[in-house]
Amino acid sequence: MSVVPLRPGVQAEPSSGHAQPVAMIEIDRVSQMFETSGRRGHLALSDISLSIEDGAFVSILGPSGCGKSTLLYIVGGFVMPTAGVARVKGRAIAGPGPDRGPVFQEFALFPWKNVLGNVMYGLRQQGVTRGEAEAQSRRLIEMVGLKGYETFYPKELSGGMKQRVAIARTLAYRPEVLLMDEPFGALDAHTRTRLQNDLLNIWERDRKTVLFVTHSVDEAVFLSDKVVVMTRSPGRIKEVVEIDLPRPRRRADLLLDPHYQKYVVDIEKLIDDVLDDELHP
Amino acid sequence: MSGSLPGRRLSPLLACLGLLCVWQVAALVLKTDSFPTALDAIRAIPSILGDREALLNILDSLRRMTVGLVLAALVSIPLGLMMGRSRAVASFFNPLLMVVYPVPKAALMPVIMLWLGVGDVSKTLVIFLGVSIPIVYHSFQGGKAVEEKMLWSGAAMGLSAPQRMVRIVLPAALPEILTGCRTGLVLALITMVTSEMIARQNGAGNILFNALDMAQYDTVFAMIIIIGALGIVFDAAFETLRGSLVRWSEPQFDMPLSFS
Repeated sequence: MSVVPLRPGVQAEPSSGHAQPVAMIEIDRVSQMFETSGRRGHLALSDISLSIEDGAFVSILGPSGCGKSTLLYIVGGFVMPTAGVARVKGRAIAGPGPDRGPVFQEFALFPWKNVLGNVMYGLRQQGVTRGEAEAQSRRLIEMVGLKGYETFYPKELSGGMKQRVAIARTLAYRPEVLLMDEPFGALDAHTRTRLQNDLLNIWERDRKTVLFVTHSVDEAVFLSDKVVVMTRSPGRIKEVVEIDLPRPRRRADLLLDPHYQKYVVDIEKLIDDVLDDELHP
Repeated sequence: MSGSLPGRRLSPLLACLGLLCVWQVAALVLKTDSFPTALDAIRAIPSILGDREALLNILDSLRRMTVGLVLAALVSIPLGLMMGRSRAVASFFNPLLMVVYPVPKAALMPVIMLWLGVGDVSKTLVIFLGVSIPIVYHSFQGGKAVEEKMLWSGAAMGLSAPQRMVRIVLPAALPEILTGCRTGLVLALITMVTSEMIARQNGAGNILFNALDMAQYDTVFAMIIIIGALGIVFDAAFETLRGSLVRWSEPQFDMPLSFS
């Protein structure tokens, strides 16, 4: 991993006082307990610590119910952890903010706005003039491959197109971190592959920090610098696998690459172990 | 989709004509004074609409109806949406609404008249009460159904909680809110007439029931036609407005393009 230089104007938490570069995202002993109808609360996340450098593409991988989405929501500020603290650039996360842009599996587009209106929304909210917001949004819509669909409403779009709009809408307000919650989980295999390729191409341009939740091993290895494998009940980090494959990555080349294949097989074994442990504790 | 466009335009007209025909035949068969034929009733309409006094009465009724309806919307929509988004607000207001719900609002009219007199205030209040419940209920349902992730997306863009309420919950729930308003509009017309039936002072309902007292049955039925026609016109006008406001949620938009 590359060492992140401290950029001028970016102040670390004054109390920390260390000279080391601050990670973009720092998850520090985070636990999350959910109230359930049973007597005991459900421990969704137990004592998670994770550090993510600026510009890294990190996937969180695990079986359903391992709390991987919850972890993402905590970084987004949508959910407050029961214990521990999550930080962005050294500052404790107290709520959502435009420095962290979410993309959800459910798209969550604004159905009363057309494609252009959705993409412009965040820019207008930040006080960008209408003309400027529109120009920027049109460029983004073109970048995600939806030129010509500016006046279409979400209901008129297929799932893949909706997710393209959602990605453009989030990129529009220039978050420093992209938080992607199984963004391609609701799409068919073909659409999914196309969007993975396009996402990587877009990411190569400015290499934002990405936290990407998925349950697909291929997807995680193909996209990521680091894959965090989680266990469930309670959600813990089983292992962090560094994916040392050259970029820019092309899917067709990678599928034949023995290194890629080994990563996939190794991680699949890890996940099998996780599931075996659950069956035979 | 069934029927061509002119077919769909014509069918309501045909339904009205059919109803008038049945009426005409039934009245001719029954031959009672209290049931004039459709033609007699229709012939009495111009004399009502040509009468300045009667027109002013009808306009008075419509003014009260509009005020009651608008006030009800202004109170009920925010209340319903807040109930939809906050469990605490919902559990506070739900029992209150459940108590008010089954009470026929017109039945409150005599009591309200004792407090506030027979004037505009009482009648408008009864219309307000009659209209509020469906608007609150539909706004509540609409507010509750708003996707959490949509609000999170807004929060990430920097929208504060009140901004999310106005700029995300309100538009997202608008189709459901307008369904409630449509029901409210019809109920407003009903409570308008019943309020004037009890507080006999002026208004469309007063013309109707005065005519009934004086056994002018063609005028009674002419008023029924006028009130019914008002209902159809208001509903059609409201549907046009609703259609333009929430076109994005209409079923014909439900045809995703085949493109990833």
